[in-house]
Amino acid sequence: MNNLALISEQRDFAVSSSSLKDVRSFSREVFEKVDIEQDLKDELVLAIAEAAQNIVKHAYQNQETDDKMEIKISLQNGNLEIGFFDKGRPVDDKNVRHRKIDDIKPGGLGTFFIQQIMDAVVFKEGEKPWINHLILTKKINY
Amino acid sequence: MSYKVTEEGNISIVHLDGEIDMDVTEKAKEIIMPLIEAKKEVHLNLKEVQYMDSSGISVLIESHQKATELGTKVILKDISKSVLKVIMMAKLEQILNLG
Repeated sequence: MNNLALISEQRDFAVSSSSLKDVRSFSREVFEKVDIEQDLKDELVLAIAEAAQNIVKHAYQNQETDDKMEIKISLQNGNLEIGFFDKGRPVDDKNVRHRKIDDIKPGGLGTFFIQQIMDAVVFKEGEKPWINHLILTKKINY
Repeated sequence: MSYKVTEEGNISIVHLDGEIDMDVTEKAKEIIMPLIEAKKEVHLNLKEVQYMDSSGISVLIESHQKATELGTKVILKDISKSVLKVIMMAKLEQILNLG
């Protein structure tokens, strides 16, 4: 595919741990269209799946819901932006747990992975009907 | 995720297969923890695990900690490239037993 092509794809997912495989499939499908190293594709898929997992675990506290979450992947001129939209509990950026490098307790690892993989992680208040809008960005050299 | 458990003396070998994410971590714990509680040495064969996320890594950490507490150990065997990468990203290669 033409490397300069604009990619902008979005999909809704049920807010459930059972949706995570679908989130990965969607992400893999999108990154198949981009001429980047497989290792980077795998990392991006992991970051996206971790962010989706955090919505299930934290915004919805693993509670069953009919709500959907939306994931939008955009790439233009080497700027990758991944947006996550949900209607769960408002996320307070200050309460997001970051794992310390020497901490081997389970938990907080997902956010740690996201930070390692992406260039920037921004939490925003979602525009109606959304409550939370998480934006992950990364400059892609291809 | 699918699995197979074989026994060799006091060693339980757990072959895990597939993708290990939040959706299957309880199942993974149900397989591994009773073996550790029975004070078996547990070898987790991760050759056929194509994907593991932070939830899967948490299972590895909890298993390692439980085994240490009970005086036994969990050894990770034949780790697939993708899982090793995630273990290294979590900076756990010096903490977990990589066999």
